[in-house]
Amino acid sequence: MADLLTAVGVRKEFGGLVAVNDVDFTIPERTIVSLIGPNGAGKTTFFNMLTGVYKPTAGQIVFDGHDVTGKPPHAITQRGIGRTFQNIRLFQSMTSLENVLVGMHSRLKGGVLRAVIKPPSLKREEIAAREKAHDLLEFCGLRGRDDEYARNLAYGDQRRLEVARALGTEPKLLLLDEPTAGMNPQETAEFTAFVSKLREEEGLTVLMIEHDMRVVMGISERVTVLDYGEKISEGTPQEVQRDERVIEAYLGTAAVS
Amino acid sequence: MAPGIQAVRDSTPALKRQTMPRAKRAAIVGIPAFFVLAVTGSASLGLIVAVLIFGGLYIPAWNTLPLGKWIVPLGVILLAVLYPLYQPNLFDVVVFGNFPSIDTGVTMMIFIMMALGLNIVVGYAGLLDLGYVAFYAMGAYTVAWFASQHFSNVNVHVGGVGVAPDTPGFHISIWLVLIIAGVFATLAGILIGFPTLRLRGDYLAIVTLGFGEIMPQIASNGDNLFGHNITNGPQGINPIDPPGFGNTLHNAVGLPSDYLSSTSSTRLFYWTALFLVLVTVFCTVRLRDSRLGRAWIAIREDETAAAAMGVPLMRTKTWAYAAGAFFGGVAGAYYGSFKGGTFPGDFYFNISIFILCMVILGGMGNVWGVIVGAAFLSYLNQEGLANIGAWMNANGVSDFVFRKNIDVPLYTSGIFGVILVLTMLFRPEGLIPSSRRKAEFHEGVHDEPLYDVTHE
Amino acid sequence: MASEQARVRVARPGYRPDVLSIVGLLFVAAVGLWLLINFIKAPADFYNLFLIGLTNGCVYGLVALGYSLVYGILELINFAHGDVFMLGGMLVATMTTSWALANKSGIVLWLFILLMLLIAMAFCATINTTIEIVAYRRLRNAPRLAPLITAIGMSFILQNIGLVWKGARPTSVPDILPHGTVFTIGGVPYTWNRFIVLLFTVPVLLALMWLVQRTRHGKAMRATAQDREAAAMMGISVNRTISFTFFLAGCLAGAAALLYALYFTNIRYTEGFRVGLIAFTAAVLGGIGNLPGAVLGGLVIGFVESFNNGLGWHAPGSDWSQSIIFAILILILVFRPEGLLGERTPEGV
Repeated sequence: MADLLTAVGVRKEFGGLVAVNDVDFTIPERTIVSLIGPNGAGKTTFFNMLTGVYKPTAGQIVFDGHDVTGKPPHAITQRGIGRTFQNIRLFQSMTSLENVLVGMHSRLKGGVLRAVIKPPSLKREEIAAREKAHDLLEFCGLRGRDDEYARNLAYGDQRRLEVARALGTEPKLLLLDEPTAGMNPQETAEFTAFVSKLREEEGLTVLMIEHDMRVVMGISERVTVLDYGEKISEGTPQEVQRDERVIEAYLGTAAVS
Repeated sequence: MAPGIQAVRDSTPALKRQTMPRAKRAAIVGIPAFFVLAVTGSASLGLIVAVLIFGGLYIPAWNTLPLGKWIVPLGVILLAVLYPLYQPNLFDVVVFGNFPSIDTGVTMMIFIMMALGLNIVVGYAGLLDLGYVAFYAMGAYTVAWFASQHFSNVNVHVGGVGVAPDTPGFHISIWLVLIIAGVFATLAGILIGFPTLRLRGDYLAIVTLGFGEIMPQIASNGDNLFGHNITNGPQGINPIDPPGFGNTLHNAVGLPSDYLSSTSSTRLFYWTALFLVLVTVFCTVRLRDSRLGRAWIAIREDETAAAAMGVPLMRTKTWAYAAGAFFGGVAGAYYGSFKGGTFPGDFYFNISIFILCMVILGGMGNVWGVIVGAAFLSYLNQEGLANIGAWMNANGVSDFVFRKNIDVPLYTSGIFGVILVLTMLFRPEGLIPSSRRKAEFHEGVHDEPLYDVTHE
Repeated sequence: MASEQARVRVARPGYRPDVLSIVGLLFVAAVGLWLLINFIKAPADFYNLFLIGLTNGCVYGLVALGYSLVYGILELINFAHGDVFMLGGMLVATMTTSWALANKSGIVLWLFILLMLLIAMAFCATINTTIEIVAYRRLRNAPRLAPLITAIGMSFILQNIGLVWKGARPTSVPDILPHGTVFTIGGVPYTWNRFIVLLFTVPVLLALMWLVQRTRHGKAMRATAQDREAAAMMGISVNRTISFTFFLAGCLAGAAALLYALYFTNIRYTEGFRVGLIAFTAAVLGGIGNLPGAVLGGLVIGFVESFNNGLGWHAPGSDWSQSIIFAILILILVFRPEGLLGERTPEGV
């Protein structure tokens, strides 16, 4: 299986603080990988470097055969990396459908002149886009919510909408930042099944930052552990669970001995 | 959601469109009725009340009809088009005096156009541009360059009207020049946007403010820019050719050959200006409902998320600038032709803030609101404040409150300032808000800068 | 395995600053050369312009301090600050004329000037604090556009007040500062009225820095500037700290207004806006939020303006002053937003 994403020696410094310290990381195609670690370990910083929000201080990131190190976020999204956010960042004053349509921005082609003239080709494109967005919303369990403003949705639905919107970017790699935060056990189980579905039916590769070990153990094929910006362990969920360094990081030295 | 409720929701789509409340129906019918009655001189209180009751009770809600949503806009357009015809017959309103003259009407149309242009930048994309006057100036000087005797060493006539064929200078048909002016302004917008659009909101504001501030300076000093006379300095450039259709079309179809020589010259200017406004509204609405419009709203709400969804920030913001600038340029060019001259004194920086005031008072992002705000405030600036002052002085109000006569137009900038402050404090979504905006202001948005250092 | 495959060149992004620094240095060198040539050609003029720039720069610096203080704590550009300064100047003009200070001299004169200073400071501080309470406080959690727009509105209102108070034409202030020579340099006298401005600015800056660094109030200001919520949780009254900051900024504006009015003997209702824009540029140039930076920026702008207006050899001239200052603003914001003395925040935002 080829590697969809390869990160080599990735490093992020904020002034004197090293948030991510020379991390090597690969994601094989069609796998579900989890990135875990205590709070402050550098997980979201690493995510942000993958998606172009931060420029790495050093290192290289190759995605789908292209070097995307330090490229701006929209270019990386165009290459095929989609993401959700840790604290939901939907466009609150837009409807669910519109949120997904924004996600599809880079896959549509209407420009300024065509927008004003509105030729039949544009009308067709818009109708097709709306249908696709509608289908995505259904796929993510948001049937019938097309015209609801995002701010009026229930919390669980908002999380679903974030995923639907990210799917609108037609990603090859989907980054989920703490997707089950705030969910109850049933919602978490549903979401876990949903992520599996994404991989099985859509052929997506998924990278998750997660704190909920049920999810991590449940569907990840591989788990990488960060602590203080460094990779301290990597392997199958079972291997990582037994790794002394991981236990130490989460529970302290006393827990190991 | 319980399956029963879902089934109900699915089967009654019409529930979404609510029928118009009676009061609203009555008001919308009552206003034009009032006008018609006033013009014919039979506007009595009893008659008005009768019309209102009739409107509320018997006229069905038209917004559920197939083309119902066009009725009010078409009605307003009709009122505006016919305005020059019934304006002389209109009554005097208390305090405000007479209804605006057709001349003022042209100015109002120009400002509506500019407000709609600024609305794209501030209202849709959320970029606080305090230097919109730069685009207006660009348009005004474009028409001054291509439809006057300024470049007296050339002699280029392409459809120019109102001047003899041997007059020196560029004399291009105003209709072409409007488009050229729009393009030039767009280029200026892209140029200005290049360094400024990467800045954060408040820095963007002050930099655009600076642009607006130095614009009159450049215009004043432009008579000796590296040896070239670009703007003719403080005296400005005049006369500027009027719009027109030329003698061929005049003889063939009866269109006015040049606006100034026609008998109903002001009316022609007014109707053309109204047409330009309609075109602007059309383009604005089309843009708003397009992929680009969605991108603008996304950027305004949450830049980081928008970028993560594949929206190229700089490019999209520049498009907002460019689109807004285009209409500013066309408005400036038309105004230059209407007034017959372009002078640096026209571009005092306050204008940028006035236009901003119109957009904010009217309702940022809402086309109707902006039109109403612009019409009202530009009227106030041109005629209204003077009329109010005259009324107050004549009726003892000034004596009572201030102990002397006051010159209300002197307080123009203060009044606009008060409008800005009060609107921001108490109704930031404007008089006629878009439904999106109302929630945004009362609930807040994510407008942190792109690089969110507080995240881990 | 995978890392070997991908062990391509490890990129080190971010070389841009170096090229820019070189260009910047070249430009500064060119300017320095131009100054040198002018100095050699007409040294007396040069000294004179230098002194003018120094004096003007101090005034700009004082106003810039006000902008920096408020921006540091609220991240708000208080557009109205310059206009508060202008109103203070008008008050000073009124006081000087109605108390007939031109007829006074000696200790009495200085006591009156001191009195005017206190009144001007109190006046401006009151206006500033009132504006904060009435207009900005409610909008502290609104989207950033809202307080900005309100600030513009307040600026308009204050300008209008100035226009109505003293009219459209410049108001002249009786020239009461002494003009005796302190010392001569290169044949050009450095007069007392100029020296007083400098004499005043330095202690004010030092006192302000002491206040911000060493006192409890200053600590509260710095804490609130860094993290408002955390400061509140530590028991700092955010409202009072912010009001105090506006009060201080107002005092600075009042002091600057006194100096401006007495030194330039002239004040006009549009001066607030003009000086405000210059002062804000100075604050950004020095590093927004950085107090010595504000004064440094003020001095630099003062020199730029003065040399531009007066030098004989290839100077753009006073017509272009505002455009040049504005160009500085843009260049700084685009290429070095942290200013001369500011710290580089991550990614330069």
